[in-house]
Amino acid sequence: MILHTLNRSPLDSSVYLQALAAMTEADCLLLIEDGVLGCLPAQAGRWPQLTGRLFALREDLASRGLVDACSDSITVIDIQEFVALTEQATKVVSWY
Amino acid sequence: MRYAILLLGAPYSSQAAHSALRFAQAVIARGHRLEAVFFYADGVHNAASLATPPQDEPQIVDGWVDLQRDHDVRLEVCIAAALRRGIIDAAEAARHGKDGHSLAPPFTLTGLGQLIDLGVDCDRLITFGA
Repeated sequence: MILHTLNRSPLDSSVYLQALAAMTEADCLLLIEDGVLGCLPAQAGRWPQLTGRLFALREDLASRGLVDACSDSITVIDIQEFVALTEQATKVVSWY
Repeated sequence: MRYAILLLGAPYSSQAAHSALRFAQAVIARGHRLEAVFFYADGVHNAASLATPPQDEPQIVDGWVDLQRDHDVRLEVCIAAALRRGIIDAAEAARHGKDGHSLAPPFTLTGLGQLIDLGVDCDRLITFGA
């Protein structure tokens, strides 16, 4: 499994499309920083077929007031769990 | 596991430095060894010894220094990226005839080869881009 991180909002950057194109069916995607704007229910359609493999960083959601606005399809994790994901992944690819 | 971090963002300009520092602290809290943080591109501004942020804001430069002091994390700064941005240590300042310097230990100027070594030697290399 490769862990991909995305720190840009899908609303103002198309780099998330490159991330999705690079991902295999085993890979996971973690939304951090402005990437957590992708957690809004209205953005859920941008992440097809990522059920169970799509994560968002709680601290970055909280600093933007979005913890309660997060789509149910996204697993919210804290920074310790971010490290745990990097332990499980063979590599980490950062998209920014 | 042995970790390394590559940081490309300047403090207070983007969130990258803040994210990288929090991640570094979490890596250590989970019992891993963080070998080094490599500062490249605008990330070299994290090593600015003259940085003086307001006291009630996050002290990011101090955060890196604390990591080195408490956990022996190497703080490696790309020399080519640093010098062209005015981040320069005493030795380079003397070599180039500058009046002052803006990088002090525990940060060290080093080359890109060190980044390659970190990628080869460490189990994980995590990039925080801006």
